[in-house]
Amino acid sequence: MSIAIRQITKKFGRFTALDNVDLDIPHGRLVALLGPSGSGKTTLLRIIAGLELADSGSVHFDGQDFSDRTVAQRRVGFVFQHYALFRHMTVFENIAFGLRVRPRASRPPRSAIRAQVEELLDLIQLRTLAGRYPSQLSGGQRQRVALARALAVEPRVLLLDEPFGALDAKVRYELRRWLRQLHDDVGVTSVFVTHDQEEALEVADQVAILNGGRIEQVGAPDDVYNRPASSFVYNFLGNVNLFHGRIDNGTAYINQEATGQLVFVRPHSLEIGRQPSGANYFRATIKHISSAGPVVKVDASTGWGAPVHVEMSQARFRELELRTGEEIFITPNDLAVFADEQRAG
Amino acid sequence: MLRRLRKRSIIPGFGLTLGFTLFYLCLIVLIPLSATFLEASKIGWHEFWRAGASPRAIASYELSFGASLIGATLNFVLGTLVAWVLVRYDFPFKRLLDSLVDLPFALPTAVAGIALTTLYAPHGWFGAPLTAAGIHVAFTRLGIIVALTFIGLPFVVRTVQPVLEDLDRELEEAAASLGAGRLQTFSRVIFPAILPAVLTGFALAFARGVGEYGSVIFIAGNMPMRTEIAPLLIVTKLEEYDYSGATAIAVVMLVVSFVMLLGINALQSWNSERENMSVEQPVALAAGVPV
Repeated sequence: MSIAIRQITKKFGRFTALDNVDLDIPHGRLVALLGPSGSGKTTLLRIIAGLELADSGSVHFDGQDFSDRTVAQRRVGFVFQHYALFRHMTVFENIAFGLRVRPRASRPPRSAIRAQVEELLDLIQLRTLAGRYPSQLSGGQRQRVALARALAVEPRVLLLDEPFGALDAKVRYELRRWLRQLHDDVGVTSVFVTHDQEEALEVADQVAILNGGRIEQVGAPDDVYNRPASSFVYNFLGNVNLFHGRIDNGTAYINQEATGQLVFVRPHSLEIGRQPSGANYFRATIKHISSAGPVVKVDASTGWGAPVHVEMSQARFRELELRTGEEIFITPNDLAVFADEQRAG
Repeated sequence: MLRRLRKRSIIPGFGLTLGFTLFYLCLIVLIPLSATFLEASKIGWHEFWRAGASPRAIASYELSFGASLIGATLNFVLGTLVAWVLVRYDFPFKRLLDSLVDLPFALPTAVAGIALTTLYAPHGWFGAPLTAAGIHVAFTRLGIIVALTFIGLPFVVRTVQPVLEDLDRELEEAAASLGAGRLQTFSRVIFPAILPAVLTGFALAFARGVGEYGSVIFIAGNMPMRTEIAPLLIVTKLEEYDYSGATAIAVVMLVVSFVMLLGINALQSWNSERENMSVEQPVALAAGVPV
């Protein structure tokens, strides 16, 4: 089912959580709402679910205005950040809850509920734990139970609030790949909220980046990463080196103060050489090398600005045989230039 | 057993604090209680039976336990409701209302008794219209229930309130998103979560009701066989210098109260066992056969 959000505004007292937001979520997609804390992403998710009411604007499901429908009428599956499992119910009872509370007329018979819950237990690979209580499960298991419970009611749309926020790094990584797999199997339109750009870029079909209650950019992960629409997006989606500078006739001049423009370079777009290469380069001194991991991170100081961060492959690092304290030449390969909004505005 | 008790702990003073606790409990609770049994044992079975199981005594037990049970049950419902309103809604003078709940705690019981009697007497504010409608409250068993409900209210409210406050809002949102109606959300999600607290409050209100004296004797009328509560019968016996008779009744009340509290506790631990298995249990279960 497709979702259309039209001119949603939501204020909490004086704080504007969402400011005239428009967003389209196509049928069957997995969409990430990405942004720093306080950007309004969770509020937007709760408005889609009907757990929060917007001050103005509307939410459409398949073109139909659902703004005044209750959360139950919208038939959304909502997965809470802290799972919100029912502590006094077993895993089985938790998953069966949505089916058991149906009005008698539409409630499936006991055997059908049992079969459906068991199918979901297989899906989340927790069949052997059906009789346990939530307090006896690990964080990752609880999250999967919460997901199965939401899926049990066959929701038209699945909404997940920071689904991996409370888990440790390794479980997070495994679970998000599993979620992607699950989405491909089940195919229900899904929206998840995250503040982790890596998670959003890896899992989602489409990423909406929010900042200060507004949507900065919507697009495929490749789009938003490689063609960011604003300095905020560029900054938020990865590590950057920031220079004050300007562009004249296609030539970037960095190390210029108060020019009204910002020049961004990703750490992996900086090339380190022992000799100056081409016309664009600057000198720097290596301050720190971190070589544990797939990429080698080098911090260098330029003497005229903030330290510069460079990333390179292990192979390249070994080839160059860099040492701390060495003087090197850095060539930027790919620059992005944005107006300095703070200065301009 | 001893080795488990002796488990090394980072918190010092286990021996000292345990020793003090045991000593204190003995001094304050166990010694007076065993003195009651000791006193009762002096009179022999026949005498004990005659005093403790006389028709008048049995009528007073029935009244005391029955009225306390009804009062505690009323508070089970009404106290939970008051706690719910105080936690969930904002309204003017909420703080004032909140502190009013403690009044039955704070009020000397005799004052409560006189106030209730004045209200419910045949010419009182409540008593006059009720009498006109044919309902007699003061000097009847109904009056005793009113008094016991009054003094028991804070127990349920004050035990349920913090638990309701801590209840995760998301649980209700989860239930609603799964299609549960308000009533289903309450009965299947909220009520099971607060049930242990409600039961505790119920037990406290009940225990207080059984022992209540001051607020009841004014409104009860104290007619033997009809509106005479067991604590009053004990006092009457004492005034007649019938010490062994008084002790016999005391022992019966003690045993019945103890058994009832034990039952409520068992119910509670059964309930909490279902709800949140202790932290150690998952390990034990994980080692066993999958459920």
